[in-house]
Amino acid sequence: MADPELLLDSSIRMWVVLPIVFITFFVGIIRHYVTQLLHSDKKVDMEQVSDSQVLLRSRILRENGKYIPRQSFAMRKHFFNDAETGFFKKAKRKVVAKNPMTDTSMLTDMMKGNLTNVLPMIVIGGWINWAFSGFVITKVPFPLTLRFKPMLQRGIDLLSLDASWVSSASWYFLNVFGLRSMYSLILGQDNAADQSRVMQDQMTGAAMAMPPDPNKAFKSEWEALEIVEHKWALENVEEELMSRDLNFGPIFSQDLKCAMF
Amino acid sequence: MLSNGKKMASVSDMYDVGWEEMRDKLRKWREDNCRNSEQIVDVGDELISEHSSKLGDDVWIIYEQVMIAALDCSRDDLALTCLQELRKQFPDSHRVKRLSGMRLEALERYDEANKHYDAILQDDPTNTAARKRKISILKAQGKSAEAIRELNEYLEQFVGDQEAWHELSELYINEHDYGKAAFCLEELMMTNPHNHLYCEQYAEVKYTQGGLENLELSRKYFAQALRLNNRNMRALFGLYMSASHIAASPKVSAKVKKDNMKYAAWAAAQINRAYKLAGHGTKESKCSMKAVEEMLESMQITMS
Repeated sequence: MADPELLLDSSIRMWVVLPIVFITFFVGIIRHYVTQLLHSDKKVDMEQVSDSQVLLRSRILRENGKYIPRQSFAMRKHFFNDAETGFFKKAKRKVVAKNPMTDTSMLTDMMKGNLTNVLPMIVIGGWINWAFSGFVITKVPFPLTLRFKPMLQRGIDLLSLDASWVSSASWYFLNVFGLRSMYSLILGQDNAADQSRVMQDQMTGAAMAMPPDPNKAFKSEWEALEIVEHKWALENVEEELMSRDLNFGPIFSQDLKCAMF
Repeated sequence: MLSNGKKMASVSDMYDVGWEEMRDKLRKWREDNCRNSEQIVDVGDELISEHSSKLGDDVWIIYEQVMIAALDCSRDDLALTCLQELRKQFPDSHRVKRLSGMRLEALERYDEANKHYDAILQDDPTNTAARKRKISILKAQGKSAEAIRELNEYLEQFVGDQEAWHELSELYINEHDYGKAAFCLEELMMTNPHNHLYCEQYAEVKYTQGGLENLELSRKYFAQALRLNNRNMRALFGLYMSASHIAASPKVSAKVKKDNMKYAAWAAAQINRAYKLAGHGTKESKCSMKAVEEMLESMQITMS
């Protein structure tokens, strides 16, 4: 199919492309500050904190247990994994299924999230679609199939037009995702204008800092700790140390100055 | 405050530094967690009295840093000024409440301080800072057994708090409960395997506990500390002591004795080398080398 090289009016660039970029950018910044204003402190549960630290300790025992003597390692492994008195065997946490419909705090959080993220996107997307309709904005640099046409070329009913030419609504969505790195430059990491991360969070479900089922975490940690063996790192430390002279470095070659500045 | 009407030389004059360098120095001390309170007070006092407007939002964290240092140096006036500024800016903050509690502690009004911390804990049961301050009050009052008990309970919930493990090991050492102190140090060694100071402290505790097994462990950990940091002289002396102690013990086999004498000889040679390097260029090096040899001789353990 012949590739009609369309020549777009340069006023499109001035009055459509750039305004959409600015609109998206500023809406994002406003969204960030509004989220900060509406932000409520998450109440942290004591047991969760304690459990996460215990799991961390167990993991460190697995990884760095070779630096402590064999008996100490065995003592701690026994503490965690013993069949009757081990921590991972005894601790049974009540799993509270966090039903989003009934849990009030999560409900308000979800509502706030929707309000600040999804609503502006819909409103502005719709306005842009209405205001800048009937013409193509730009051409994406890679070829697209015809299936993309109804999606990317809203309001334009030209059958012969290459699907690479897109309308303003798709340019808007492109911006929403593309300006993410700009936001992290200006607003610092972990900012609320980062929409794609919000959508990612929604997709992974109610995944909080601690998996909702600590019992499962305990069980997997128990299994991992069972199979770990203690290989003492200090077995041959003297031989390794004494294979060569100590390197004292420059500390003896001059007086150490302890000034403030 | 200043007698004879003489103005003390300001830090910026003495060292010829500007306010930015002073602020950066304070930040470095903050990040390294240094306890050089007198220097912090000197630098910080000048910074907040003369350059507070230029500091912007940094001024609040500097107020906190200077306040704690002022409490350390008994500069109650300066501490109170800093605290009042912070209270004005952050009226409901738990962090500021903890600072007022610390000031009460410094004035030895422990009951009022305890009330402050209890109020914080009622509001936020996971606040670790308030709990740790309560334990410090017990320590300051000399109630070490209670402090140990409270710290153990705290650590049961917050197993990952390394500062607390270290504090507990110190408390146990003071009570001469070396076994439990060793346990705490093992926790620290696991979480910081490359820190030579924890290895060395652990080795010292094991050496103090005594007994052949513990001496072997201490020798190994002194060696590990040396491997992590070749310049740790204390670990070098510890290696020499533990190796010669094992070699001098009557219960060991001939092979163990020979090995340990080899280790001790190596350690002695390294010590000699270190002193030689230190005495480089000075005229008394020959006399000091002899002194080192005599010192090493005298440190030999003679088993009766």
